[in-house]
Amino acid sequence: MEWHQACGMVQNMLEVKNLHKKFGSNEVLKGIDFQIDKGEVVAVIGPSGSGKTTLLRCISFLERADQGTITFEGLHYDMQHITSKEIRKLRLGMGFVFQGFHLFRNMTALGNVMEGLVTARKVPKAAAKKTAWEMLRKVGMEDRAMYYPDQLSGGQQQRVAIARAIALNPQVILFDEPTSALDPELTGEVLDVMRTLAKEGTTMVVVTHEMRFAMEAASRVVFMEGGLVVEEASSAALFSDPKEERTRQFLRRTIADYDRG
Amino acid sequence: MNARIVEILVSSFTKILLPGIRVTIPLTLASFALSFLLGMLLAIVQVAQIKVLRQIAKLYIWIFRGTPLLVQLFIIFFGLPRLGIILDAFPAAVIAFGMNLGAYNAEVFRSAIQAIPQGQTEAAQMIGLNYPQTLLRVVLPQAFPIAFPSLFNNLISLLKDTSLASSITVIELFTAAQQIAARTYEPFALYCEAAVIYLIFSTFLTWLQGWLEKKLVWKTKEKYLVGAGNEQQEERLNNL
Repeated sequence: MEWHQACGMVQNMLEVKNLHKKFGSNEVLKGIDFQIDKGEVVAVIGPSGSGKTTLLRCISFLERADQGTITFEGLHYDMQHITSKEIRKLRLGMGFVFQGFHLFRNMTALGNVMEGLVTARKVPKAAAKKTAWEMLRKVGMEDRAMYYPDQLSGGQQQRVAIARAIALNPQVILFDEPTSALDPELTGEVLDVMRTLAKEGTTMVVVTHEMRFAMEAASRVVFMEGGLVVEEASSAALFSDPKEERTRQFLRRTIADYDRG
Repeated sequence: MNARIVEILVSSFTKILLPGIRVTIPLTLASFALSFLLGMLLAIVQVAQIKVLRQIAKLYIWIFRGTPLLVQLFIIFFGLPRLGIILDAFPAAVIAFGMNLGAYNAEVFRSAIQAIPQGQTEAAQMIGLNYPQTLLRVVLPQAFPIAFPSLFNNLISLLKDTSLASSITVIELFTAAQQIAARTYEPFALYCEAAVIYLIFSTFLTWLQGWLEKKLVWKTKEKYLVGAGNEQQEERLNNL
């Protein structure tokens, strides 16, 4: 298991190799290699149906991959045959921010942020509350701490969801299209929070359609299409000088859409 | 109405009401408590995908929903003694009603649990909650308000169905009415009187349901609401 460490190999914090996933006969991921270093912000872009979200869901084991290996925090697992106990252990180092927020509707914003600390990690309530307040302040939501999700706007809910993720101090946070379910005027407040996290050196994987965010905040960009990684490069390189024709087409199309919008 | 019937109705009122309060209501509450726990258990076993237990739960629901309540009552009270299991009438009735309604409540809980979006469970898993914690902290608290109206519906049905216990010698509301009717030869007046008393009980339950449903909404208490200058937000909160 800890063979990589034993050999003293240089390695990434999170590395996925040869990831395959089918839904029925539909092959969504056709052998993805993906890695991220500590402190990196990786944006995953690509057209709808390219497998970006499935990639994140396989990494976090919300979907079970058909084939592939994952190395995370120095431990190596077969993604198909991993046990549920190992999955729980892996997830302790991961945060996940969903497109649909998925705040617990029966808890206040504060309760949502405290839950992972108190119930899963057995942090004493007083300490958990203190951490939760800090996190809510960080995302600018401390004045809404006692509100229930239904009383908050989409942007506010997503900020609370980010606070819920960072409160557990994960090694990496996976963002699955965090602004896609929001009204256009509400995306800014969420992206601002994410930019702040990026600047602080939080390791982040962001599946996104927000090209400007990818351009400005990501250190590296991965372009996916048809279940494969077509091209990956530093954000500056990929946007200014894409090597692959398909990347060029995609960028032309999306950036034209932007200008129209 | 002649004076004799009025006399009978007045004098029998407390004689029917008292067994109603002393027997019908405890019988209803005890049976419902059993059916609640049983229903919850049968629902969890099904949604948790525990293979063998799931099949047992389905079999149980199939049998108890598919056979008449009166027949179940007779099997438990008159039939089981043949197998050496002898129960008093009241506990036999509680078991029969509880087990029967448990099958119905299981379906209520199951559909309510399945109505909770998958995302809630996924979010719980990603912050490190295990399956029992996810159920207890996230899924069940949200499923309960959804299940509540149907559960209460079943409770009101149960209240009336307890009259079947008269057939296994439980002295409850309807048994009392039957006895007085037999003595006075006024079945119409007395059974109507019994019906009115059931109606009073179920009216109270209906009112209770409305009151409790209002309490089940998650809503921030006024004292926690702060004005942050966002007028739209304030307005939405005021309209909640």
